[in-house]
Amino acid sequence: MTDGAACSVCDSLARARAGDAAAFADLVRRHQRMVYSLALRMLADRHKAEDVAQEAFLQLHRKLALVQSDVHLLFWLRQVATRLAIDRLRREPRYEVVPLHEDPGIAGEPAAGDPLLQRRLSGLIGDLPPAARAVVLLRYQEDLEPVEIAAVLDMPVNTVKSHLKRSLASLRDRLGGTSGAAYRGDGQST
Amino acid sequence: MPVNPDLEQQLREALRRVDPAEGFAERVQARIERERLRPQRPRPALYRWAPQALAAALLMAALGLYGWHAQRERQGLEARQQLLEALRVTGQKLDLAYRGVKDAARPATAGDAGA
Repeated sequence: MTDGAACSVCDSLARARAGDAAAFADLVRRHQRMVYSLALRMLADRHKAEDVAQEAFLQLHRKLALVQSDVHLLFWLRQVATRLAIDRLRREPRYEVVPLHEDPGIAGEPAAGDPLLQRRLSGLIGDLPPAARAVVLLRYQEDLEPVEIAAVLDMPVNTVKSHLKRSLASLRDRLGGTSGAAYRGDGQST
Repeated sequence: MPVNPDLEQQLREALRRVDPAEGFAERVQARIERERLRPQRPRPALYRWAPQALAAALLMAALGLYGWHAQRERQGLEARQQLLEALRVTGQKLDLAYRGVKDAARPATAGDAGA
């Protein structure tokens, strides 16, 4: 983010805190892609993802006074979106979760690389346990370092690294067609 | 275990951000507005009646304490009355006994004097 853009976010944040609805809408537009994508990859359902993303911004609106800066805002939104999504996954029976590769709406997004492989990868990520899925999303969607992921998910850094290692091993194995999935049998455990 | 850079790159491509449906910000604003306009949910009956219930309980406790105190006082007075009555009866009995003894002794004395 450039300095100008950062200042613009700061300005929007300050105005939104002062009760300016247009400024808050501006904040939503700036971050909706990130929040919605996190929720979508976690929940594998567009409607639930929209609901969770809206809820995240609703909570932001209620707690705007606590947000100190644009960096804090990003951290806060990532944390709330992943927590809400994990809570939703825990609340709802597993059989309602549709793997991403079975959702034509998500799998049909335009792709830069091999669309078939990306579709398969999306599906395999959807099979990971919620906490591991959140770690993988924050690492590869949001490009966060393990220390930052640990802060967002409020878990030890070593646990984050362990989730990453096991998730990558599982994905690699399952992409290769072998049976040694590190997370197989873990179910929805975290 | 070394991380396969190809797999990481493929993950980044598979996990690129996607846009929500058109009008997301407006839907968020509408939801905020709905939340704002939604009438305050009435407090549960327990909370609504709690002050009255507490006042009633305190009043009942005060009345109970007052009643208990009044009963103890009444019992004390009754006991005092009973004690006084007992003392009075005992005094009467003693007086009677004294008179009986005195009367029993008097005729003999009178007879002796007459003889």
